Amino acid sequence: MTLKEFYDSIGSDYKSVLLRMGNSEKMVDKFIRKFPNDKSAEQLFEALKNEDYTLAFRMAHTLKGVCANLGLDKLQKASSELTEALRNQVADNTPELSEIVKSEYEKVMSALGELD
Amino acid sequence: MLSRKRIMGKILIVDDSQMNRELLADTLADYEILEAENGKDAIAMIREHATEISLILLDMIMPEMDGLEALEVMGKNNWLDDIPVIMISSEDSPELTHMAYELGVTEFIRRPFDALVVQKRCRNIIALYSKQKKLTDLFADQFYEREKNSRMMIDILAHIVEFRNNECGMHVKNVQNYTEILLRALLKITDKYQLSETEIELIGNASALHDIGKISIPDEILNKPGRLTDEEFKIMKSHSAAGARMLSDLPFHSEEPIVKLSYAIARWHHERWDGRGYPDGLKGDEIPIAAQVVSLADVYDALTADRVYKKAFTHEKAIDMILNNECGTFNPLLLQCLQLSQEEMRAVKEKGSGLNSKGEHEIKAFARELLKNDALYSSDRILRRLDYEKVKTRFLKGMLGDCGFEYSVSTRILTLSDNVAEAFELPESIMDPFSDQKLTAVFGSDTVKTVIELIRKANSEHPVIQLYLRRITDENGVQKIEVSTTDDGGYDYRVVCLTVWAVDDQQRYVGTMGNFVLNDCPYGIMKGADTIDVKGIL
Repeated sequence: MTLKEFYDSIGSDYKSVLLRMGNSEKMVDKFIRKFPNDKSAEQLFEALKNEDYTLAFRMAHTLKGVCANLGLDKLQKASSELTEALRNQVADNTPELSEIVKSEYEKVMSALGELD
Repeated sequence: MLSRKRIMGKILIVDDSQMNRELLADTLADYEILEAENGKDAIAMIREHATEISLILLDMIMPEMDGLEALEVMGKNNWLDDIPVIMISSEDSPELTHMAYELGVTEFIRRPFDALVVQKRCRNIIALYSKQKKLTDLFADQFYEREKNSRMMIDILAHIVEFRNNECGMHVKNVQNYTEILLRALLKITDKYQLSETEIELIGNASALHDIGKISIPDEILNKPGRLTDEEFKIMKSHSAAGARMLSDLPFHSEEPIVKLSYAIARWHHERWDGRGYPDGLKGDEIPIAAQVVSLADVYDALTADRVYKKAFTHEKAIDMILNNECGTFNPLLLQCLQLSQEEMRAVKEKGSGLNSKGEHEIKAFARELLKNDALYSSDRILRRLDYEKVKTRFLKGMLGDCGFEYSVSTRILTLSDNVAEAFELPESIMDPFSDQKLTAVFGSDTVKTVIELIRKANSEHPVIQLYLRRITDENGVQKIEVSTTDDGGYDYRVVCLTVWAVDDQQRYVGTMGNFVLNDCPYGIMKGADTIDVKGIL
């Protein structure tokens, strides 16, 4: 799978990602491959499991920022919604929102596995 | 490659996510990059690298200390005046964005960011700041130089008059100080005379030439120890009109406000409120207020100083004599000012003029006027710097030897001259000295406590603090330093410090500088810049 195919498969626009990264395919490639090393998603799930919502908020926020720059739009949107839920600590819909983040995260990870 | 980076500058990236830091570092590959994981690390990094950092990219949500808290610390330390901060965050909340701007960020960039935009903004902001810094430095240097030269010429001229007059060399300075003290008091009790701070400075300066006419008086009369005959007194009295003539006959600058004020002061500083003075017998407010005030300042200084024909009176006696109209009659409002500012005048009398009162106001007023017309200098940083530098230079000039040290609140660094550092086996610069273990180990916690105590008690009116240190060996054979605030004669070092204060709406402690004086080296004693022997120079 090429970079373009990867972004198509997760519903993002490769062109705008490329433009933001100074039109450097090398740079997009370098950083998208680093995404699995970024620990914010794992730490977020861990914090949610431990009901540490302060840490969870911070990790969701970080994940949102990382996704924004890498153009992982759907995961970014999901983590953004979770961030806001955690910020106010009225965690009614937190479980649903975290499920969405988890599923989007897995989609990205499995698509990344198919990258050439 | 390295040299290119050095020219482009150093950028500190503060973000808890390694991924984010790497992405920014790659985007800004032309710069030397420093990284910090949270606000606390960032603060430590700024302390360490201080002036090397050209720009900070700051994330908002971080553990330990978040971006907004870090900004607050930077603001309190005045770092934001010199280092621009761009906040980069995916934060959408308008409240937090507003808060960031309020706390002093230069820009806010939202994630996802565009690499090109980040590059351009960084470059522009760094260029802008460095240009402003260059201009500010240039301005400060030139202004200070100019100010120094003109002040020096007036001082020299005034000293020539004093020299001939056998006065102690402090008369002109004292009159200048008293004049300004009285005018500021006058400003407080009435708006009758419509004085501005700039005019007060101007009158203070102009007062330096009040006795310029005395150079036309023969030496035998001027310095006659006994009583003057009527004829001699008549000649003596001609000095005020003579001085005025010298100023009005100037072939140049005669329209300048300072020359006009000098004229009024020289001509009318011997007029009396009741109309019985000379040369014109002006009465009440016919006498320009500048001349009225200088007249009072002149009388007070004459009374409290030794003259060829009399001994000095005490401050109390002098005030009594003036209030009882024994030395002329004065504007009742001015007598009220005299009573109000007695203590201030006494302090100048006792301490000598010069360490803090003169010059700062003037520079500030002048700079403010300039700033008003020029948005470029909108920050008051330059004022603070000017104040600090000016006081510093004057103080340092007055000291012999180079056993000095300097502490500034804004950098939180204590700098020791190499002699001092060597003598006490300490590094030449110490961060946060009041809690530094090495420093405490050398000088003892009592000394540190005493210094803090003395600084707390000091203010811009009483800025000088002193302590006495003695090297002792305790019963266990350990070398220690014992501190005292009074001179028992047996000390090894006397430490003389000047605390420096920024005075705007209220006083702010901005630093301390000082000197170690060895007990067996009497020439190490502070020598005030104002008491430099003019006769020797002439």
